[in-house]
Amino acid sequence: MPAYYLEIAVVVLGLVLLLVEAFTPPQHKRRIGWAALAGIAATFLLLLTVKSHCGCDSPMWQFYDDSSLSLFFKGLALLCTAFVLMLGLEYLPVLEKYSARAGGGPATGEFFALPVLICAGLMWMASAIDITTIFLSLELTTIGFYIMVAYMRRNVGSLEAGVKYLILGALSTGILVYGLSWLFGATGQTGLDAIRTALPSAARGPALFAFALILIALCFKIAAVPFHFWVPDVYQGAPTPVTAFLSVGSKAAGFLVAIRLMEPFLAVESLRTTCIAILVAVACATLILGNLAAIPQGNFKRLLAYSSISHAGFLLLALASDRHTGELTSTRIIAFYLSAYLCMTLLAFAVLIIINKSTGSDELKAFDGLHRRNPFLGFATLIAAASLAGVPLTAGFLGKFFVFIAAAGAQQWLAIGIAVAGAAAGFYYYFKVIRHVYWNTAPEGAAAIPVSPVAKSLLIILIAATLVLGVYPQLILGLL
Amino acid sequence: MLSEYLPVLIQMITATGLAASMLILSVVLGKSGNQSDIKNSPYECGMLPIGEGQPRFSVKFYMVAMLFVLFDIEVVFMYPWAVVFRDMIVTHTIMFWSMLSFAGILLVAYLYALKKGALNWKE
Amino acid sequence: MPLPPGGAFNNRQPAARSGTNTNDPDRLSPLDLLIFLPIIAAVAMAFGAPARSAALAAAGANLLIALCLAFTFVPGDGFQFEARRAVLNSPAMGFNVGIDGLSLVMVLLTVLVTLAAVWVRPPKEGGEGFWYSSALLIAAGAMGAFVSTDLVFFYAFHELALIPTFLMIGMRGTGNNKDAAWKITIYLGFGSLVLLAGLAWLVVAAAAKGGEMTFDMAKLAAQARGIEGGTQEHIYLTLLIGFGILISLFPFHSWAAPAYASAPAPVAMLHSGVLKKFGLYGLLRVAVPMLPLGQSAEWIQHILIILLLGNILFIGLVTIAQKELDMVLGNSSVMHMGYIFLGIASGNAIGYGGAVLLMFAHGISIALLFALCAAVREKTGTLQFHRLGGMAKGAPVLGLLFGMGAFASIGLPGFANFAGEVNIFFGGFANKSDCGCLGWLEWATILALWGVVMSAVYMLRAYRAVFKGQPGQAVYGVTDIGQDTRIPALLLVAALLITGFFPNLLLDLVRPVVEALAPVSR
Repeated sequence: MPAYYLEIAVVVLGLVLLLVEAFTPPQHKRRIGWAALAGIAATFLLLLTVKSHCGCDSPMWQFYDDSSLSLFFKGLALLCTAFVLMLGLEYLPVLEKYSARAGGGPATGEFFALPVLICAGLMWMASAIDITTIFLSLELTTIGFYIMVAYMRRNVGSLEAGVKYLILGALSTGILVYGLSWLFGATGQTGLDAIRTALPSAARGPALFAFALILIALCFKIAAVPFHFWVPDVYQGAPTPVTAFLSVGSKAAGFLVAIRLMEPFLAVESLRTTCIAILVAVACATLILGNLAAIPQGNFKRLLAYSSISHAGFLLLALASDRHTGELTSTRIIAFYLSAYLCMTLLAFAVLIIINKSTGSDELKAFDGLHRRNPFLGFATLIAAASLAGVPLTAGFLGKFFVFIAAAGAQQWLAIGIAVAGAAAGFYYYFKVIRHVYWNTAPEGAAAIPVSPVAKSLLIILIAATLVLGVYPQLILGLL
Repeated sequence: MLSEYLPVLIQMITATGLAASMLILSVVLGKSGNQSDIKNSPYECGMLPIGEGQPRFSVKFYMVAMLFVLFDIEVVFMYPWAVVFRDMIVTHTIMFWSMLSFAGILLVAYLYALKKGALNWKE
Repeated sequence: MPLPPGGAFNNRQPAARSGTNTNDPDRLSPLDLLIFLPIIAAVAMAFGAPARSAALAAAGANLLIALCLAFTFVPGDGFQFEARRAVLNSPAMGFNVGIDGLSLVMVLLTVLVTLAAVWVRPPKEGGEGFWYSSALLIAAGAMGAFVSTDLVFFYAFHELALIPTFLMIGMRGTGNNKDAAWKITIYLGFGSLVLLAGLAWLVVAAAAKGGEMTFDMAKLAAQARGIEGGTQEHIYLTLLIGFGILISLFPFHSWAAPAYASAPAPVAMLHSGVLKKFGLYGLLRVAVPMLPLGQSAEWIQHILIILLLGNILFIGLVTIAQKELDMVLGNSSVMHMGYIFLGIASGNAIGYGGAVLLMFAHGISIALLFALCAAVREKTGTLQFHRLGGMAKGAPVLGLLFGMGAFASIGLPGFANFAGEVNIFFGGFANKSDCGCLGWLEWATILALWGVVMSAVYMLRAYRAVFKGQPGQAVYGVTDIGQDTRIPALLLVAALLITGFFPNLLLDLVRPVVEALAPVSR
């Protein structure tokens, strides 16, 4: 089965869900979520049967790539969507409260149909090897996210987040198009393969200008400086499952696009030094800002927002250190890091959703005494925070370690110094969460926090994945 | 080389000329004949020219306008498709089916909009 | 014994030929039990197993296993009981275990202190599962670090202790425990990140010379020899700082004393006794054999000597000024690290051997002292000298055992500490200097000798203040320690005495390793 059937399947699934949703009575919207989950799971099974194409020269393959890397990122997108749908089912009570229609009941059906369409966009991004398809798929996801972020229409925070995301997203889209058109102007090509061959003979100025514009625009997608302003506010305001989706799915696909778009530039020796310098500068700025700004945060969602920024810094550092490390290429490192990031970040958001459902708060204070109110939930938080901080034997550690290896291979000493300081700051703010969970005592009269069976199985899967990836990286790296 | 850009030049001259001629003609011809307040007021498609700076429109205007743009784009795509691939559509049926699937997606969107009451003016 | 330079890992090849080890190592090793028994026990507690009996069973079983391993171990035969499990094909990374003489000494230290640590009862009822499982996890982390022959797991297991330590000090500690827990976590987190960067640098620099990147220590040692001198020196310095923070090398020591002072007894015992030795073990296992040019570089040696003198002399004075028993012990633990550094700085087999011996002896003796210190706190509710005194009347066994620990710590003959320190001081003078005058190392050794006097001063003062003289206000009606403290204390005292009278039991294990570490001529 060729790979693009997957995207077709997901799009059809999304459309069918939309239509069915329109005809479903409000009290049965939960079923839409289960149907979407089942459909995504089925697509994931289909993914396992995909074979790489025969090498036939259909024009399709100039736009569409089905290498193992693309398939891997498709899998990541599908997994992430499935987890987000589960989180959405868990989040439904909060959503119902804030999404009521003017006259009628809550409108929660699209909350499960739109992620499926976004997932299609993410999967297309994973396969896009032409600047037109890159742009189209990027927009498909971004437009979906515009709606999702502002979904809770009775919540001012969500609306504010929606407006911010819309304006900055539109701005970054403009910059991206501008950059892509400069790239097209410099090389006269839209296919990335053709661009790679044409770029060495292109004029240096326009090529560098295009590089800078594209990088800046992609920084929006991956939540890196200088386009990070939206991150904390949007993360805080958006419905939590959407925040998780933004933080994981959008970032993962964005990084694959970044790898693909940066690669031709880094392959040209005359541009390479400058491009690496720009990338390292962006990575360092991201690391410094993300980690320093995370330190004083008292809101768990904002904390995760800045943590997302700082992880983007590590990933950018890996992207900038693309040679000298043999089999452990920067692409493989990024793929592993993102898988680890998926597990631990979704784990953190899952805990947050469960706690928010009981306490109605996203603040760190809501975590006080969690290990007494629900020991399993406390343990889950512990694992998530430890992995995000990079404590060994968790997935987050190996990700950071591989980045250090790559950066040491590329002799980026200054960046390594900043990354070490940043990771040490990470210890501070992630352990702050653990401190709330284990050291602080719960407020008077705080009841135990219930965990539904769905949420519990989700947590167990994510904890197991975080720990297994921490000791057996071959599981991921063997796929690439 | 530069001659390729001749149509652009003509376009620019035409556009500038048209706009300029409208302005000039209205100045030259407009001040003649009987004058009255109504005649001297700016022409605004029959709406009252005086009112609030930012009048409130019903949100339905936007809904309809957006839907119009969306479905308009469909036609905008179809024209060049039909012209450019006129022969290929017959030989390569996938061309036909892909455009049909595009139209199908829009059909789903239309049904969805209809069911959600986006075109229902009264509510 | 003229071995080629380049490190302990040269032992591997003859070992593989001699038949005790096969070329195709097993998939399983008895060493796995040492790591996983405590972890299994800790997990079982989470599911409701009786905490104390599970912990004692796991720790006791580990002691027996370790003793069996020690008796079947063939000294000088390289790495034994090996097992390799690849977790990543390229670069080669695997959960590989194996022990040589150096690791075996550390394993013995770990199992002894672990058993003693879980034998000590928590002072308050409740939360027993958490108490014992934390102790076991710390022990498992240390054990994993000592038996791993893969660089990543060597590092990773050490960090397993980080979170239990953080939680135990923060939740079950005494005094200013939250600040102390915060400080130790941030300090050690930062130190281990510096260390991580150094290890990454080492691996990458070695791969640049020898092709395929690997985390296997034996292969890495072979590759790393090709690294240029200047790079070796810089990597060595990075590793020294990274390990140094973990060991509380002056001036990165300030986390240690307050953390030990406020930690619950098992954590203080395991951390100061076992876990802190990880850094020293790492220097001997990674930095010294893999970066010989860094180890022998003069400027690095001078830095190290200045810092270790800071440990011995400055911290020695600080310790004398302390007015509480736990702070005296915490600071003395920092101070004694200076001697071990001196042994490492000497760069010859005698000094290295003394360093390993002192690592073992100090680990046992400080664990003993912290266990008894917790007993004093439990009996009297305070550790301030001015409120204590004359406890030996009411608690003669406690006084006797504490006295033995204190004498061991001072370095009285008959205890293993003495053998270690003597070897280190001999090692300090064993290098023939070219000019016939005293070099940096010799001067440092002479100055360090004064440290022994200082430790005698503060230990005897502490002993007198707590156990002799007029009974302090907190001491009335004090009873002696029960079986739960006596048995672990006696276990540790016995270990100290046996290895003190027969230091060759350990030195024979260590000697082949350290002789391979020391270059033939300097």
